[in-house]
Amino acid sequence: MNGHFRNREDTMRTLGLSIAMLASTAMTAPVLAQDIELPIVDEPLELTIHMHWARAQGYGPGGDTSEIYPVEEVARERTNIHLVDQTSGRNTTDNSEAMNLLLAAGNLPDIVGGANIRQPVNEYGPQGAFVPLNDLVDEHAPNIRAWFDEHPEIWDAISAYDGNVYYIPYLPDGKYARAWFVRQDWLDALGLERPDDVDELYEVLVAFRDQDPNGNGMQDEIPFFVRDWEEVLRLLTLWDARSTGADVYHQFYLKDGQVAHPYAQDEYRDGLANIAQWYEEGLIDPELFTRGSSARDYLLGENLGGMTHDWFASTSGYNVALADKVEGFDFVPFLPPKSVSGVRIEENRRIPMKPDGWAISYANEHPVETIKYFDYWFSEEGALLANFGVEGKTWDMVDGEPVYKPEVLESGEPVNSQMYLEGAQVYRGYPQDYRYEWQWTRDSAREGIELYDSEDLLVEQFLGVSFNQEEQEVYDRYWPSLQTYMLERQQAWILGSGDVKEEWDDYIETLNDMGLQDVLDVMNSAYERQYS
Amino acid sequence: MSIDPNFTGPTTENLLFDASEAQRRRKPGRIQRIGDHVRREWQLYVMLVPTIVWLLVFLYKPMWGLQIAFKDYSIFRGIADSPWIGFQHSETLFNNDQFLRALRNTIIMSAYGLLFGFPVPIFLALMFNEILNDKFKKTAQTIVYLPHFISSVIIAGIVITAFSPSAGIVNTILEWLGFDSIYFLTKPEWFRPIFIGTGIWQEAGFQSIVYLAAIAGVSPTLYESAVVDGASRWQMMWKITIPSIMPTIIIMLIIRIGNILEISFEMIILLYQPATYATADVVNTFIYRQGLQGGQYDFAAAAGLFNAVVAFILVMTANTISKRYSRTSLW
Repeated sequence: MNGHFRNREDTMRTLGLSIAMLASTAMTAPVLAQDIELPIVDEPLELTIHMHWARAQGYGPGGDTSEIYPVEEVARERTNIHLVDQTSGRNTTDNSEAMNLLLAAGNLPDIVGGANIRQPVNEYGPQGAFVPLNDLVDEHAPNIRAWFDEHPEIWDAISAYDGNVYYIPYLPDGKYARAWFVRQDWLDALGLERPDDVDELYEVLVAFRDQDPNGNGMQDEIPFFVRDWEEVLRLLTLWDARSTGADVYHQFYLKDGQVAHPYAQDEYRDGLANIAQWYEEGLIDPELFTRGSSARDYLLGENLGGMTHDWFASTSGYNVALADKVEGFDFVPFLPPKSVSGVRIEENRRIPMKPDGWAISYANEHPVETIKYFDYWFSEEGALLANFGVEGKTWDMVDGEPVYKPEVLESGEPVNSQMYLEGAQVYRGYPQDYRYEWQWTRDSAREGIELYDSEDLLVEQFLGVSFNQEEQEVYDRYWPSLQTYMLERQQAWILGSGDVKEEWDDYIETLNDMGLQDVLDVMNSAYERQYS
Repeated sequence: MSIDPNFTGPTTENLLFDASEAQRRRKPGRIQRIGDHVRREWQLYVMLVPTIVWLLVFLYKPMWGLQIAFKDYSIFRGIADSPWIGFQHSETLFNNDQFLRALRNTIIMSAYGLLFGFPVPIFLALMFNEILNDKFKKTAQTIVYLPHFISSVIIAGIVITAFSPSAGIVNTILEWLGFDSIYFLTKPEWFRPIFIGTGIWQEAGFQSIVYLAAIAGVSPTLYESAVVDGASRWQMMWKITIPSIMPTIIIMLIIRIGNILEISFEMIILLYQPATYATADVVNTFIYRQGLQGGQYDFAAAAGLFNAVVAFILVMTANTISKRYSRTSLW
């Protein structure tokens, strides 16, 4: 333990020197890709890397570190920097656990990357575990600098409480994630239109329940179903309430420039009362809370489910998968119904920045070379490599556009799975390119995305805050219990044991007794420090 | 009788001296004695080594880490360099209603588990013992052992399906009988019966093995003389079998009490919902949600330490009571 402290101080001292020697240059125009010199080093330089994410626990195809990614081979050739695997926790798929193992062991590799690194990196970075990147980026990473000059709010979002940035994130591209889907063939059978507002939605669901759209003579239809029970909360937006402010459930959101929690708003009370009403009337899957991830497979496959809110790509895939099994099956995306006040929003979207990416550890003796290497993946050449794989092998440049080879698109394997084995779309810090996904998106999903794109549906995302130690303490002390309580009441109200309107004042009072205001205060103080 | 003046044999004093001298030589220092023993029985000691190493590495060394319950623990700083903060975590814990609720649930659930779960394997063993047809006995035993070998995830899947309001067998039967179907797994009042029942179904068969072994060890002569005296099977069970296996029952009971707070929480995590937290949330699930998912290792350690203290008190109490009233005890 002591050993790595001494090391850290040494590194920090040399780093301090090199930072002092750098004049912090003001950035002017975005720097072009030509500005980076390749190779980055004349002699091959080996850097060790921890790379732990869902698809691979280790820096190698599928986590097999005895093999080298084709993408890595090209990157080695171009940059002369060789990444060598040193991943901790390769026998667990839990990223946070792997990260904790890595940190607790104290023997950090040069680069720490993978999924969910934001929280640990921003917590232990200021303690000295990771190298602050601000000056390194300004001085040595023109492509990264240029990207963030265009997206300053994301630079704010990834910074730690001390104002420094400690990791370069994976930056997803594309806008829409989940959408509303309805059985068009059921609508046709009953002579109904796609619902345009909340009242029409109600009528459609009632008709699905009562009028036997699947024609089997039994009242067995489940009008509205979801895979994750939390998705049912998207219905809240129909009553101008919110269920979350980010791409995970139950998150804080931004209300008039302040951080607030959706479950403490009056609109939520009214929205939830309506959801409870719909649940009681049998419009929502009665087995909502235990159906689990197979709900969509089962209810669509058995011709029972009428409407859901789920991912564009995978949900539209059922039209192909069930074409032979369910006659006339036509599950189509439709625009979010207008709320009671006439507003149409799609709450769920792809978040523009993920807690995934990579960071430079204190043990790295070549921070300048490393940041130049990180920058390579933001250059045009590097970004193409990171997104599409090796040119000539998986794709070709056609009229200035990267186009996948037919054997990639038609292999029967999802393109993303193929890319993961090539070493592309790996959770290094890089800007994702939506052209990659668009090429293998099915026509039905493309139509849906174009439909959603035709209106302004998206709402501002809450990108999260980095707490300092005191704020973190307050948050840790109150928040887990608060969230538990909120969810307990939420489920109870939906299930009809308790009435949200009658119990609302007690509920708000209990939240305040449990420290909601303190949590909101630290949220807002962190938010102001970080984003203003 | 006079003393022969020419007697040259050992006097009483000499004899006494010799005896004590021999005694002294036979009673060497403690260390030497142990040394002698090790030299003579070294094979046994070699066999003991792996267990001792295992205990040291997996049970005693981790105790060193318990100190983070009183520290502001940072993974990166490490245990030694994290600052002490005293009982702050314990205070937070006891000011948390959800922890107190989890503690209450743990105790209630364990008590019910003990009350209903402990006698079942004994009944099973006694019943198996009375079965005369060997083939039937073997088959029945195999069937009740089986659930023990099924993973909790699958058991939870079976339970969720069995209690499903639309397709579950339980609700199907209820509907036949004219009742309304119940969404059992979202009802706090049903969680404990379902959880404890599942536990019994899963483990009772396997636990009965110990009692079967104990029954097999009862001397047949007792039964033979009982038969001669004209005792019925019922009387033999009450007067011979049960008293003979009583020490086993008591030891098992003490062990059970020692583990009383170790509810199989993975099963709870698989079965519970926020809607049923009111009765389902136990200390371990609370630690899991609050501590491990939230990354608060120090806080979780404080909760775990408290759990261990309560379990320690329980097992000490059970052992003392047992020692006093039945002269059977763990130590």
